[in-house]
Amino acid sequence: MKEDETITIDKAPVPRGPYVHARKHGGLVYVTGQIGRDAKTGDFVKGGFEAEFNQAIDNLEEILKAAGSGLDRVVRAQIEFVDEKDLDSMNRIYGERFKEPLPARTSFGVAFLWKGAKVQIDCVASVDD
Amino acid sequence: MTDRRAVVSTRGPQPTATYPHANVQGGYVWVTAQAGRDPSNGEMVAGGLEGQLERAISNLEGILGDCGSSLDRVVKTMVMVVGDPREDVVDAVFARRFPNLPARTIFGVAFLAAEPGHEAVEVQLDCVASLD
Repeated sequence: MKEDETITIDKAPVPRGPYVHARKHGGLVYVTGQIGRDAKTGDFVKGGFEAEFNQAIDNLEEILKAAGSGLDRVVRAQIEFVDEKDLDSMNRIYGERFKEPLPARTSFGVAFLWKGAKVQIDCVASVDD
Repeated sequence: MTDRRAVVSTRGPQPTATYPHANVQGGYVWVTAQAGRDPSNGEMVAGGLEGQLERAISNLEGILGDCGSSLDRVVKTMVMVVGDPREDVVDAVFARRFPNLPARTIFGVAFLAAEPGHEAVEVQLDCVASLD
């Protein structure tokens, strides 16, 4: 069995536990949920939901690039957020950042995320083998 | 690079934000989470969790059909229920609707934001299915 290639990079916040940023298999790359932490400091970015969501997507984008993929190759995205009032902001920013052909999307409200994060996003994207 | 396309079907409720019904890539169809909305008018159907789940699965079925797949080719599904997941209700619907049982993840969520009428949404489910 060929071992899957895994990706963990400096341009996204260091993993907090025993997991990688991404793992490739079968023409796809599976990316770990990203939150609005700055890659350099590991701290949450300031500015509330919108800043956090943009930073989380930045982190996702860096990981995808390192894997040889990109935001434009995402086939499925999953978003979890804590406050229902952030729905419109979530939809707007998502619409600004993701381009055609748009991925399938699942989003839902959760009771809590790590250390008070307001939003988290993960994805599966296509990648050249 | 294999072809990859976003699909908006006439057989699912029209998307209310920037997402398609599905994305097809490399032998798989990834379907956006569907709630129990009537495709003809976007309204939530009656019948609580059971009625909504039935409709949501019908929406998946229509979307999968337009993508060249079907419910019997669903590999994995994720079911999100507001509050208590009430698995006995979900199990009964799944037993009726899925001829070849998929892998399933189910959990209770804090809220589901599937406007319009989202205050009434009790359940949504998504899936990945094969094209083979």
